[in-house]
Amino acid sequence: MIPTIGHASVVVGLALTVYAVVAFVLAARGADPRLVTSGRRAVIGSFAAAGVGCVAMTISLLAHDFSVLYVAENNASTTPPFISAISLWAALEGSILFWALLATGWAALVLWRHRDRHPALMPWVGATLASVNVFFFAVMVWPGNPFLRTAPMGTEGLGPNALLQNHPFMALHPPLLYLGYTGLAVPFAFGIAALITRRLDEEWLRIVRRWTLIPWIFLTLGIVAGAWWSYEVLGWGGYWAWDPVENAALLPWLTATAFIHSSMVAERRGGLRIWSVALVIATFVLTLVGTFLTRSGVVASVHSFTQSAIGPWFLAAILIALAGALTLLVWRLPQLIGGGRPSGTVSRESAFLFNNVLFLGLTFAILFGTLLPLLVGATSGDTISVGAPWFNTVTAPIFIALLFLMGVGPALPWGTASWATVRERFTIPLLAAVLVTAAALALGLRNAGSVGTLGLAIFVGGVMVDEVRRGALARARSRDEDPATAFWRLTTRNRRRYGGYTVHLGVLVMAVAVAVSSGLAIDRTVTVEPGETARIGAYEITHQRLVVEPLADDARVIETRAEITYAGPQSGSLGTALRDYPNSPTAIATPAVRTSLAEDLYVTLLASDPETGAVTLHVFVNPLVVWIWIGGAIVGIGSAFAIWPERRARPVTLEQPQAVGAPSTEGA
Amino acid sequence: MRRLRWLLVPILVVPLGWLLFTGFGRDPREVASPLIGQPAPSWSFSTLAGNLLSTDDLAGRPYVVNFWASWCGPCVDEHPILTGTHETFGDELTMVGVLYQDAATDAEAFLARYGDSGYAHVLDPDGRLAIDYGVTGPPETFFVDADGIIRAKQFGPLTDAIMAERLAVIGLDG
Amino acid sequence: MRSWLPAVALGGLLALLALGAVLAFGSGAQPSASERTDALARELRCPDCQGLSVADSPTRSAQEIRRQIDELVAGGARDADVRSHFVARYGQWILLAPSSPAYWLIPFVVVAAAAAGLVAWLARRQPPVADAVALSDEQRRCLHEEVEALDA
Repeated sequence: MIPTIGHASVVVGLALTVYAVVAFVLAARGADPRLVTSGRRAVIGSFAAAGVGCVAMTISLLAHDFSVLYVAENNASTTPPFISAISLWAALEGSILFWALLATGWAALVLWRHRDRHPALMPWVGATLASVNVFFFAVMVWPGNPFLRTAPMGTEGLGPNALLQNHPFMALHPPLLYLGYTGLAVPFAFGIAALITRRLDEEWLRIVRRWTLIPWIFLTLGIVAGAWWSYEVLGWGGYWAWDPVENAALLPWLTATAFIHSSMVAERRGGLRIWSVALVIATFVLTLVGTFLTRSGVVASVHSFTQSAIGPWFLAAILIALAGALTLLVWRLPQLIGGGRPSGTVSRESAFLFNNVLFLGLTFAILFGTLLPLLVGATSGDTISVGAPWFNTVTAPIFIALLFLMGVGPALPWGTASWATVRERFTIPLLAAVLVTAAALALGLRNAGSVGTLGLAIFVGGVMVDEVRRGALARARSRDEDPATAFWRLTTRNRRRYGGYTVHLGVLVMAVAVAVSSGLAIDRTVTVEPGETARIGAYEITHQRLVVEPLADDARVIETRAEITYAGPQSGSLGTALRDYPNSPTAIATPAVRTSLAEDLYVTLLASDPETGAVTLHVFVNPLVVWIWIGGAIVGIGSAFAIWPERRARPVTLEQPQAVGAPSTEGA
Repeated sequence: MRRLRWLLVPILVVPLGWLLFTGFGRDPREVASPLIGQPAPSWSFSTLAGNLLSTDDLAGRPYVVNFWASWCGPCVDEHPILTGTHETFGDELTMVGVLYQDAATDAEAFLARYGDSGYAHVLDPDGRLAIDYGVTGPPETFFVDADGIIRAKQFGPLTDAIMAERLAVIGLDG
Repeated sequence: MRSWLPAVALGGLLALLALGAVLAFGSGAQPSASERTDALARELRCPDCQGLSVADSPTRSAQEIRRQIDELVAGGARDADVRSHFVARYGQWILLAPSSPAYWLIPFVVVAAAAAGLVAWLARRQPPVADAVALSDEQRRCLHEEVEALDA
């Protein structure tokens, strides 16, 4: 009954979305303007339909309804309710249903929010978003039906994928990531609308700023959450493996970040029209490529869903979207050329443009590395690998250059910068960086990556601090405020700029944390009997005993756990285990992580001997890892601050004054 | 010149489409083997039955080396084909099974359940033999001709058709 | 600010970069056997994992490969010999980074070309030099004082 409702709602969703496309296109071409309202309602209806589908699937999972194939493959009678609920996005068909929910949600939100504005653009925005959603609903009606029945129905299910069961982040990472991916269709839709209606001035950029930043925040948090999750779960002590699907999530993030920066130039100085449109198209197409790589079986990855008939559909969607958008772009090329005030080679504009060159360079490098095995396999039949060593070597210089630019750019003036300005703004921070780096080297720190990044961070941080100080003092002086009030008012009334500085601060923290945690990490593999102690860095690890027992939550899972006490900068006890899931041939490691601000103690169980109770452990001390996650949070807070609406200037009505007096309005 | 800009669309779309399309139908985990046409590795290991088997014993006849494990799902599917081949071609061809990251007791249970047609299964406790053959995971099967040269490899489970094709390459037909 | 400060800062930076280069490349000491085995283990791919190196992977095949690396290095094999030992069995796939230098250079070439292109484009679009605004001495002095006050 419930699965039937679910399937019906998906079909209804498809019908509504198709109707919406037709209605919007007709309205845009000059037919009855009420069609816009009708189309909007259809989109809202499709959101409701996707919602009903998700609810139906979640109920089927919670009820362990094995008549549904998706439930039979991803759920078992012993699966705990929390895991059952989040299995909605655990595998292929369910994840597309969840995606459709979020995509229709964004479409409904955009259309509703701008329902009385931009009448020329909105019908085309609606048509584009609805067309994208037609694809996802069509996939669910034909090749990827989440509500497919099993015949005959079994009495037990296979259970969820073992790797997706043992950490709460399974509830966080996919939703955050999908909110980012689906939301980035909105700037794309506005770009397409701008191309079709030829409204290619800065208006669409202004509208799209928040609609780009909000999904960007989700995508950033989703990627950071993914790294944190894999660090806590996979047991190899690292957080980023340059896995094809990790790369696929990074690619649209890079082009979206490039767009956020270049649109600042475009908004203020004009120009960059082709570039702006190309970036939003690239971002959207890359989100599709990302989902394609995860779901088509074309590359092997930790993330790969099973190979299925969905692959060709995704490929067709990518090619149609890319070809269509490019055709529009080429068609409107004459209107896109020109505009914009020129600027000097050293100026804020050029810093933003170099930023874009670097971000797109990263995008190219990562895309190249990810697809190279495919290319070589297709042309010569050989199999090659492109893994972490290649990606680290190739991307590190670009990241460093970006970090440098992040410090230098905001300190440069718009227009042209004189050498006097450059000398003035950068000398003290450079000096500070040189002194700190020399001190670090003198103290014995030799790891090049850590020392170099630290020095760069001091420089960048110094420039940022100086910028803020300069601005606060200027305001304090000119408005007769004390520095603290000046600082507060300055930041809250220029949220865009100071939110941006906060984001850059977060990036700086992450950069230093990444450099130090990879450069200065130590690890050892030891085999210890019960009662034996091993030493690593400043820690002493003592193995107490080996325990083998079924899990409390799910009795089908047998856990082999080493109970360990540790002493050093942190002290306490931990349990690190290997879990045997019935549907997985190899045991799954559940490493134990003890986090402090200075470092993480990370212990993975490699092997155990049930007779002697001896265990083989891989022990890591990873410095500053927690600062990666803290930095990510700072980025999130900074970007939220940047888009937080400022108090609008309130109009004040005055009596015609008898005496001359200056009216004052609050707010900027 | 203005017309030329339209070329941008196919120039960007067609190569991307072709590249992503070529990925379909190929298993992304399959690795092209450098051993085809090379002499097969020589080795000597004990079998499940407790005897010692070496490549010297296999010389002079074509042989098939099949890496499998009791925990491997597709191995169940291909097992009847392997036993069938042994029964049909047992006097012209030697079948050898190699246990991949498996315990002897589990392997014996598998054979008891799915049928043991009597050919030797070699124990590879350290995984050295798997590495010498470049195996990434079961099931993988190697076809060696009478001169000791590896002529074919099957990545993934065998089917009757694939088995017939591979056997033909090492000189057996029918 | 003192006029010599920028020079000192730049000088300091160059000195540090030189020191860094010496530290990174100058140490002529041969890496120890365990450093070599660690480095090789990071270059080789674990056959039954998804993209992890043999150094990072806990699987049995990874352990066996590490054992073989230790044996080969202890037996006097050079790094290239160890790599070709495994490439002979698995093909180029077992190396986590492609050996062909072209693949390493292509991204750098592309980024460098794009950056050079941007510089060229910016240079062509220089803003017109503004006609010098004539300031009276009084205005110039006031301006100077204001700027000084801001920078103080």
